[in-house]
Order: sequence, then C-alpha cells, then structure tokens
Amino acid sequence: MPAGMTDSRSLINLSILEAATALRRGETTAVALTEAILMRVKETEPMLQAYATLPVDKALAAAQQADRELAAGRDRGPLHGIPIGVKDNCYTMGILTEVGSKVLKGFVPDFDATVVHKLYEAGAILIGKTRCHEWSCGGSDPPTRSPWDLERFPGGSSIGSGVALAARSAFAAIGTDTGGSIRIPASINNLVGMKATYGRVSAYGVLPLAWSLDHVGPLTRTVRDNALMLGAIAGHDPNDANSARVNGADFTAGIDGGARGMRIGIDRAYFLYPGVVDSVRAITEAVINELARLGADIIVVRLPELELTRETQMTIRMVESASYHRHQIREKGHLYSPGTRATLRMGEPILATQYVAALRARELFRSAMKELFRRENLDALISPTIPVPAPLREDVWQARADMENGETPTDGFVRHVYPANLSGQPAISAPGGFTPEGLPVGYQLMGKPFDEATLYRIAFAYEATRDWHRRQPPQVYA
Amino acid sequence: MQSDKPPLDADEVTEQLTWLAEMLRMDVEKEDLMALSEQLRRIDALEKAALRDVPPILRMDAGWHD
Repeated sequence: MPAGMTDSRSLINLSILEAATALRRGETTAVALTEAILMRVKETEPMLQAYATLPVDKALAAAQQADRELAAGRDRGPLHGIPIGVKDNCYTMGILTEVGSKVLKGFVPDFDATVVHKLYEAGAILIGKTRCHEWSCGGSDPPTRSPWDLERFPGGSSIGSGVALAARSAFAAIGTDTGGSIRIPASINNLVGMKATYGRVSAYGVLPLAWSLDHVGPLTRTVRDNALMLGAIAGHDPNDANSARVNGADFTAGIDGGARGMRIGIDRAYFLYPGVVDSVRAITEAVINELARLGADIIVVRLPELELTRETQMTIRMVESASYHRHQIREKGHLYSPGTRATLRMGEPILATQYVAALRARELFRSAMKELFRRENLDALISPTIPVPAPLREDVWQARADMENGETPTDGFVRHVYPANLSGQPAISAPGGFTPEGLPVGYQLMGKPFDEATLYRIAFAYEATRDWHRRQPPQVYA
Repeated sequence: MQSDKPPLDADEVTEQLTWLAEMLRMDVEKEDLMALSEQLRRIDALEKAALRDVPPILRMDAGWHD
C-alpha cells in the first residue's frame, strides 16, 4: 500500500478515477473511503451544513457490500464503492426526502428515483442527501455556507451538492438544473457540472420545478469523473415521458482527443456584455486563448435571439411551477416560506396564451441556435458560466453598485445559464481560474444535442493544461 | 393579416395582471407585478412581431436527431 493511502485526508482528495484505481489495486477499500468521507463530514458539517440527511448506517452497510462484491470478483464499474451525495429533491427509498420544505417534513419515499437506482446499480455509496433551496426554488435561504468564503453565496439550488464536493465530503454529487442550478454551484465552487441534453438523464422520481426545463446531472471535481458519472446515469427510461430515446454511452471514449480542430464560437456581445466583471472577463479570455493555443478554431458569432431567453424561460418556469404547486399551496400554503410561496405563485396570473407564446419563442430560439451551429459548423459555444464571482450572500438580489441599470448578480446568472435550459442543449461548467481574491471562476461550453462527449473532450483538453481543479477551499483547510 | 394595432403596452398588461392577481387572492409585491408585467409585455410583442409562423415546442427532442 503506497505511503499516505491510509490517511483519510489523502483519500478524500482523490478523484473518482484515482479512488477506483486504488480500490482495484487493493490500496484502499470502500469502507475506508466511506469512513474517510464520514470523518470529513463530521469535521465540516457544523460549519457548512451541506447535507440534509446522512444515512450513516446504510452507507457503511453499502460500503461493506461493495467490498464483498469486489472481493468476489463482481465489479460494477468505476463508481463501485465510491461515496456520492444526492440532491434532496431525488426520491430515495427508505431515506428522508424533504427538498428543503416543511410540506415534505418526514417524507420517506417507497421507491428510488431512476438516477438513484442507476447509481446503486453502478455500485455507488449514497453518503447523504444534499441540501437544496426549498422546492429547488430561489425563494428561501438554506443554512449552507460556502467553503471558499463563509460570507459568499455558495450557489443554488443544488447548494449542498456543490459545497459537499468542494469541501471533500463527497467524491461526486447529483444536482438538478432548471435555470443553472448545476452550473452555478459548479462555477462558484471550482467544480465541473454537466447539464446534459434534455431527456438524457431520467427525471423520474425527481421532484420537479418546471418539467420542460428540468435536467438531472453530475457535479464532480474533474472532467473525466464527470464523464464517468454521466455514463452511469444516462439512458432512456420508460418511466419518464420526457426521457429521450437515446441509449447511454461511454462519455470517456475520446475524451483525450484534444482541442485541435474543434470549432468554438463566442458571442462577445451577449456573453461578454458590460456586466461581466474584469476578473471573469480576463479568465474567460485566458481560457479562450489557451484553447486556441491547443489548436481550436475560435469563431466570433452573433446570435441575437439570445436576448429572448430571459423572459421566455421565466414565463415557462413560472407557469409550470405554479401548475405543480397550486393545489398544494391552497391546502398547505402556511408550510411554504413566504418568499418561496410568492415565487411559486407568480405563474398563476399568466394567461394560457402567454404560456404558449413563450413555448413558441422557445422554438424560435432553439431553431436559431441550431442554425448557428449548422452554419458555423460549431462544436461548442463558450462563455463565462456566470458574469461575476460568488457575490456576498446579502448582495445576491441587490442591484450591483457597478451597474447603472439596476442589474443584480442573479440577473447576470440567468443571462448566461438560461439559454441552455431553454434550448435543451448540453452545457458544462468547468474551472477556469481564480480571481485575485481567491474566488473560483468557471467557464461554460454549450454543445450540440446529445454531443456531451465533445464538451468533455474540450474541457478535458483545457483541464490538462492547468491545475485549477486541484485547488482546495481555504476555509476548511486552514 | 397582421393588424397595425400595437401589442398591449406595459400599463395594460399591468392592469390585466393586477386584476388577475386580485381574483386569485395573491399577496404579491407591486414591484414583482411590474417586473412580471414587463416580462409578459416582451413576450406579447415578440409574439406579434416574430412568432406568426412558429409553432410551440411540445416535444423537447423533436428535430434533434438529424
């Protein structure tokens, strides 16, 4: 056994691939990995509160089972024996699922969401349910704190998934993304977050925010780990009416093909608008320059229809959320926090004709995006994931002092992340660098439908030239 | 034939929303209603200007496999 491999601090810093390799070499065990993570959880949770529920006994029993299977020659693949967090909006049989809501206090599902079932089938250990904003909606304030700076916004709504992973209290986590809720915490926490093509990952058993915008996906610390996770959870699911009739895939195949010859578009007018702060702009330009140095063709493009995405996405989201919640709010409205209740009711006075108009605007946008990729023969569009580093928590909804138009940090977030929810095309956020203050900054790649592999290939090529993904948060390692 | 009549202006949309919010007994901040009004006014304007021959998406994966 190599020196240091028994040290729990060394174990928790491994990537999934490294941990999986160590397991198969007999250098560690699933129980040791799980115990190391649980020790880390004990250390960080009082400060960070990333987890809503920690089924410790179940996790240890699953780890023992994973070790027994490996010893008997049954190898379920790279996630076998790897402790993973799952957002608390995913049904977990026999384990609390409360989605940050008093309405579901004490609720224990009697079946697993398909994504959870697939993780179990892949041998993963469910270490805990990660906290999320109430009903995955931004109207509440969970107690979760950022390991990068306790006073900064830790991301949302997959808030615990991002924080747990950054704090090394999970090897990977599942999030959901209706309006950036995988990519925003990924960017803010120096992680890789993939919102795959709509329908690529089943949403069966996942509490919805807006059916036609909801995506389930992985957060990890490296690009290859993310590809491994997506490979485990993707695939058609007859239980989900919106599941795409596309088979799963090995997303790591060809991941090391390099960026040479990749055609990457940048719409500077939209994605590098004046609201992008200097540090984020500089980091994004550095990523673009590095990809060009690696042989990618950078194409300046313009897609005016991007300007339609905010009102279109919000109209669809509001109506679908209101549709899901309206009866429950009438019956149990007092169990919603006031901010969440108000947010979820905002779709009620929207007319059916206005909702259909938004669906038509969505088609206009999606067609324009598709035509742009075709015309320019693009492999990806690049942008900052969000225009600002993590703001102070109290500033998230406040007008920015440096913007005369009253824009808030949240306005900037949605400008960059909504387009891919609206079109349904895949989008990844990966570490791009750090501000002078030490805050992580992510970049986003949007791709062609069902072509997540190309996004992984480009992101992997960039990751190999930098060590951003190895940087750890200062707060919990001081 | 499209008419020359302009789409609803912000005040008309706000009036419509305010009435609906009251009917639905919503406790909504005035500034939130104004923001929603502006959002819907933009959708209305877009519908009139550019969506005439655009059907809604009813299947998210339609046309993606080519």
